[in-house]
Amino acid sequence: MAARSWSRYSNRTFYLFVSPWVAGFVLLTAVPLVYAFGMSLTNFDGSSPRWRWVGLRNYAELYRDTDAWASLLRTLGFTAIVVPLSVAGALGLAVLLNRRLKAVGLWRTIFFLPSVVPVVAMAIMWKLVFNRDAGLLNAVLAVAGIDSITWLVDPVAFYALVTVSLWGLGGGMVIMLAALQGVPPELEEAAVVDGASRWRVFRHVTVPMISPVLFFQVVTGVIASFQIVVQPLLLAETNSISGVGHVPRSTHLYMVQVYEEFFQSNRFGYGSAMLWVFFIVILAITLLVQRSSRLWVYYEVDSDGRH
Amino acid sequence: MAGTRRAHPQLARPRFQPSAAAMYVLLLVLAMLFVGPIGWLLLAALKSREEWGAIPTRLLPEQAQWDNFGRALTDINFAAYTANSLFLSTMYALLVTATSALVGFGFARLRGRGQHALFLVVLSTMMLPQILTLLPTYVLFARIGVVNTYWPWVLWGLGASPYLVFLFRQFFAAIPRELEDAAIMDGCGWARIFGRIFLPLSWPALITSFLLSFTWTWGDYIAPALLLDVDHTTLSVAITAWYRDPRGNAIPTVQAAGAALYTIPVLLIFLFAQRYFIRSVVASGIKG
Repeated sequence: MAARSWSRYSNRTFYLFVSPWVAGFVLLTAVPLVYAFGMSLTNFDGSSPRWRWVGLRNYAELYRDTDAWASLLRTLGFTAIVVPLSVAGALGLAVLLNRRLKAVGLWRTIFFLPSVVPVVAMAIMWKLVFNRDAGLLNAVLAVAGIDSITWLVDPVAFYALVTVSLWGLGGGMVIMLAALQGVPPELEEAAVVDGASRWRVFRHVTVPMISPVLFFQVVTGVIASFQIVVQPLLLAETNSISGVGHVPRSTHLYMVQVYEEFFQSNRFGYGSAMLWVFFIVILAITLLVQRSSRLWVYYEVDSDGRH
Repeated sequence: MAGTRRAHPQLARPRFQPSAAAMYVLLLVLAMLFVGPIGWLLLAALKSREEWGAIPTRLLPEQAQWDNFGRALTDINFAAYTANSLFLSTMYALLVTATSALVGFGFARLRGRGQHALFLVVLSTMMLPQILTLLPTYVLFARIGVVNTYWPWVLWGLGASPYLVFLFRQFFAAIPRELEDAAIMDGCGWARIFGRIFLPLSWPALITSFLLSFTWTWGDYIAPALLLDVDHTTLSVAITAWYRDPRGNAIPTVQAAGAALYTIPVLLIFLFAQRYFIRSVVASGIKG
């Protein structure tokens, strides 16, 4: 008797406790997504009340929009470059800083700090570094006798954006460092005693042991790279009072184009269609990565967190 | 950060080997790449406008122009924007920490129908780029007339954050069952168990959650840029655009000083709290 009334009470209590999130999810995620889909079937311009139902016309136009395709491919390419580099870089740094070093805490802090600089300050900082006439990079090149490079215009701007993104890999580094310290030393010692080389121990013992963390870094890295929009907007050469300049082709990522459709062209309907297509693409890629994780992620505990 | 615990003899190396020296050189080069941009910003903030534009480029200012910091504070209404940022970040952080702790507790300690499916939704919204929902949310907020107010942040705060829900769920799940069993025997309801037993035990998670959500809002650019007008906007928007001379050109030296001042609070928070952050992020990373 006690058990039954207990479980009913608990059911109601559970929903009471999680209700803020349920309400938040419905009102601030589900409703906007559905609303965006509704908008994508209209020619709404953001202000005029005389918008019309256009059916799937926006999607048909999007299908023929070579700029949108180009920016989507650019976003995928950017992700394919930045995520592997930053995960590998973070892992390399973590391995390096997991050794006995002098002032190890100071080294770790140095590599960690850039990852907490807010995006706006980061953009201002890198614009100063990339500045054609007074920037740090061209000053260093000048010492080496190399002519100045205009970093923030095509086609170099793409690599500038990659550089800025890689600069923040210290966040991943500390997480991997903690993961490395969670690997039982006995495992690695046993492999060494068996005569395995350092590289083989790393490849076949250490990496599998930390693969859940590597996986987490890949997934969050991909998601973060897809939604990049502030960096290209703020790194663009400024020509207006808003501080946002003309984004060069090579850093014209998908979300940048969505942003421009909304707020420069006032094409809210078309921009919403772009959002929805991106939503599907991201869902598909996330599922794909999740699926592939079974092949290469080794879990000590199962995915529910139970041992 | 915690010290190393690599002490097994087979992997440890004698101190002064060529490879050790090479490693320090490598570290030094890498460190310069990571610190260089920050240093350049600080140097720019101390140069006069002529020195900043000088050709050939000069590394150090002849005389440090501390006045740039003064101008950063007075050229724009720095105090007002700081107050906006502080208010917005603190309010959002308090609300979202409270709601996320509640929801995390629900998922960790209570049972309900459809719980597993709901938690999968939490996990998948963690993966959903915020910007996807932000643009349509902006249109909705404009419709209901809350643009240029701080209500959107109240609503976001009340709605809990999937990331923090996950963090609290991991934290609460690790607390032994005996604690609540004893309280239930004494006739405590779940609200009391949560408020009197679990919350007092969870101050590391509460602090982490507060500081993380505070820094998110402090560092956010796109939501305040879209939703707030000139009077209500935050420091992050103000420093990008409004350090201008009368002809409308940006003043890089003053802007650099403004950016440095704007970054200091976040740097301090992370320096003091990085251990908590790392522990909680690792907990969610490994078991996610």
